[in-house]
Amino acid sequence: MAEKGEKGFSLSNGGKSSLKSPASFKGKDDSTAKSKRGRKVQFDAEEAKISMSSKSGGKVDKPVARGLIFLLFFWRLGQRGKGDKIANGGEVPVVKAPPPLELKIEHAIEIWAELPENAKCLMDCEAAEILQGIQEQMVILSEDPAIKIPISFDRGLQYAKRGSHYISPHSVRRVLDALKLHNVSDGEVSMIANVGPESVEEVFALVPSLKGKKSKLREPLKDALDQLAKLKHST
Amino acid sequence: MLQRAIIIRLMDGFSIKKATKDLGYCLAVTTLESIGEGKVRQNSGDVLFPVVFSCITFRIYRGEILEGVVHKILKHGVFLRCGPIENIYLSNKKMPGYEYVPGENPIFMNEKMPKIEKDVVVRFIVIGEKYIEAQRELQAVVSLEGDFLGPVS
Repeated sequence: MAEKGEKGFSLSNGGKSSLKSPASFKGKDDSTAKSKRGRKVQFDAEEAKISMSSKSGGKVDKPVARGLIFLLFFWRLGQRGKGDKIANGGEVPVVKAPPPLELKIEHAIEIWAELPENAKCLMDCEAAEILQGIQEQMVILSEDPAIKIPISFDRGLQYAKRGSHYISPHSVRRVLDALKLHNVSDGEVSMIANVGPESVEEVFALVPSLKGKKSKLREPLKDALDQLAKLKHST
Repeated sequence: MLQRAIIIRLMDGFSIKKATKDLGYCLAVTTLESIGEGKVRQNSGDVLFPVVFSCITFRIYRGEILEGVVHKILKHGVFLRCGPIENIYLSNKKMPGYEYVPGENPIFMNEKMPKIEKDVVVRFIVIGEKYIEAQRELQAVVSLEGDFLGPVS
């Protein structure tokens, strides 16, 4: 550990230097290229917190503390630090990385923000209706050799038809528009319709961005799902 | 006559487009909103008409729940097809509880859930998607980690 002190892995050394002047240290390292030095700053900040507890705990705490540092490091900087770890800390206790989807759930709320401004989110059943209408005219259209239909049209129609299990898209839209009054976005509404959930729990599991408004949405969702169940195809 | 020619030219251009980064796969033109004033191109003599139209496109987003059909099974994962998207990859690491069973018709088996084999419909969550400009197609990486995900009847 002492030999490797220079690289900042030694808890006590790293902890001391960062405690002294964390701000200036950071500033200095930021100016250099993104190499080990830059990473060391992040490391030291974490080590500073951990070193306090590890000093009191004694030797037993060190592997756990090291494991925690690596966990935080991975979480912060992804794959970049891997080489360092293998070189210096051969016997690292295996710490389970946090489930990746949890982080992504926070970002999931923004997915619908990626829709272009002039685009509207359609449900599968609505898209199926429109594409079906075009296909019915296809016979007339295909007689004219100059008219070309996009390659993806057939696949898109097939997917939309399979995904739509409701009798009337208009009624579905009416039912789910009621949810919009509770600040459910267009995209979330479409996803609920496409999935065709059987319970409110299924909705919250599959549309995590609604979890924040769980208490407010439970009743309206239940009503909406009951009405949707009546609109489903009897298979 | 002119409008018909414009519509034909529009559909032609639209079908050649195949896909874009923002809108995804172009499926069909639905309505022609307006045709603007034509401008004659000096060099070629062509006339350029700005056109506003509506169309249906297919795009997937990270975090979305979709259903796809299995079309290829490999040792390390499974390839799915969803609508016009051919290359949706589901890694075996993202199939909790599933084991690869090699053979003439390889499958992925799980004690508690239905098996994953060719032509099975699977509900997944999208964890990453990418638009490849060269091939004008979307690709995605998906996962079954989560409640209510996996093969559906």
